[in-house]
Amino acid sequence: MSAGGLAFFPVLVVGTLMCVAPASSRPTVQFGVRVPRERTGAPVIRRERRAYYRRTAATAVCCVIVAVTVQGYWPFWLPRIILLPELAADLCCFWVARRNIAAVKNADNWYAGLRPTIVTDTSWRTNPPRFPVRWLIPALAVMAATAVVGALRYPSLPAHIVTGSGHRVSKSAVSALVMAGQVYVTTVCSGLMLIVYRSRPDIEAADPAASTLRYRRFLAAMTRALLTLIALVDTTLLLFALRDWQVYRLSGIGRVLPVLPVAVGMLLLAAVARRTGQGGWRLNGNVRGLVLATGTDRDDDRFWKAGLLYVNRDDPAIMVGSRLGAGWTLNLGNPAAWLIVAGIVAAITGLAIIEAAAGM
Amino acid sequence: MLLSIEPDGPVPIYQQIRDRIVEAIAGGRQPAGSALPSTRQLAVDLGVNFHTVNKGYDLLRQEGLLRLGRKSGAVVRRDAASGPPDPGWVQDWTSRLHTLLAEAAAQGMPATDIVRGCRAAMTDFAFPAAALDWPGPSATAAEAGNGSEGLP
Repeated sequence: MSAGGLAFFPVLVVGTLMCVAPASSRPTVQFGVRVPRERTGAPVIRRERRAYYRRTAATAVCCVIVAVTVQGYWPFWLPRIILLPELAADLCCFWVARRNIAAVKNADNWYAGLRPTIVTDTSWRTNPPRFPVRWLIPALAVMAATAVVGALRYPSLPAHIVTGSGHRVSKSAVSALVMAGQVYVTTVCSGLMLIVYRSRPDIEAADPAASTLRYRRFLAAMTRALLTLIALVDTTLLLFALRDWQVYRLSGIGRVLPVLPVAVGMLLLAAVARRTGQGGWRLNGNVRGLVLATGTDRDDDRFWKAGLLYVNRDDPAIMVGSRLGAGWTLNLGNPAAWLIVAGIVAAITGLAIIEAAAGM
Repeated sequence: MLLSIEPDGPVPIYQQIRDRIVEAIAGGRQPAGSALPSTRQLAVDLGVNFHTVNKGYDLLRQEGLLRLGRKSGAVVRRDAASGPPDPGWVQDWTSRLHTLLAEAAAQGMPATDIVRGCRAAMTDFAFPAAALDWPGPSATAAEAGNGSEGLP
């Protein structure tokens, strides 16, 4: 099997991740709908969860079959294009489940008689968690190694080299793109995590003290997994660069070698997210001492557009906990969030323009 | 310190923030000299407007419980161990207490229940045990530990 023969792999990965993502969500947030703790076992939720798994699994199987079928006969990019309809179908499944749960929730008025509470732990600010800077060292080391190897190889390379995808491009463009890609991935991901460290913790009103501790452990574990993923993405870019710089040559199944670090990093991140759950709700957390609030989380569904996008102009937070899977999302009601989006898009566009200009 | 507010409750949010911090100081969970989050940080954590937190902090500053500085941030200025309060403050507090007790009396609450409620509430604060053992109308120290039975 050649590297081209694994073109269905992204389709399989995206399908699997979308299928299992709701398993990481909090029990009190089902398909983007906030539900009271007493209603987490409602029949409609169990029914919609099963239906979602069935639908997304069927979608993934169909898309993988199509991708495997067409990859030998159609242009190399076609299996990747399949990602778009696959993602759209999965999102439709999500929205169907969300709509059905929200309909029952509103009809039965699940929040009637409850007292929504917002809880925070001031020690989050007075004794904040420390960003694990040491876990950035592997990524920085890989970037340094790339720069050193590139500097050593560059003088002896021909003016134009043939990349792994068969394009003939200038050696300066290839080298610059690899370095820019590493800088981009490392800067954006670690920068976003730094913002997350300054954001509010995801605390449950019903169990504030324990959920604060669990969130600390969740944040530490996810940060380490993400920084490891960054180092592995940089390694993948280094391996691609080494191939283009003619340091090594692989054929057959060996051509997938550069992709392996990214695949390992993504599996690791998915495993950590599955183990911790969103905000660390799957982790054990026992706290001795006072628990001052035993309330219900506020019903904030109106701020979540399509159950996925958080838009709240009155909330000064830039990033908040995501409602699908485990992670964080931007508060699009905050102008600072739009600046971040613009920065990320501008950087991607810049890389794409350089790539197109180089003829890759 | 855990700080909880009810965003849809009848009490304004800034007042709730102020009340929770006063209770934490009285309960010994936030002693004099301890730091509180900055107004911006607390606004992010509670998901409320920055000015709302600012208003709550400003109330505490006016009451002499909080010191706000550009570099030091928000720091608790005094607690139960910091000595007696200003005479002017005592006069103001007595007036508010009078109104609070009048509300209970107007609602027909028996005097014994009022005293018992006061004693139960005071057990949450950092008073020495001996200070709570004063003779009341009919309440005993044991009753005080039974919570706020009979309170609305």
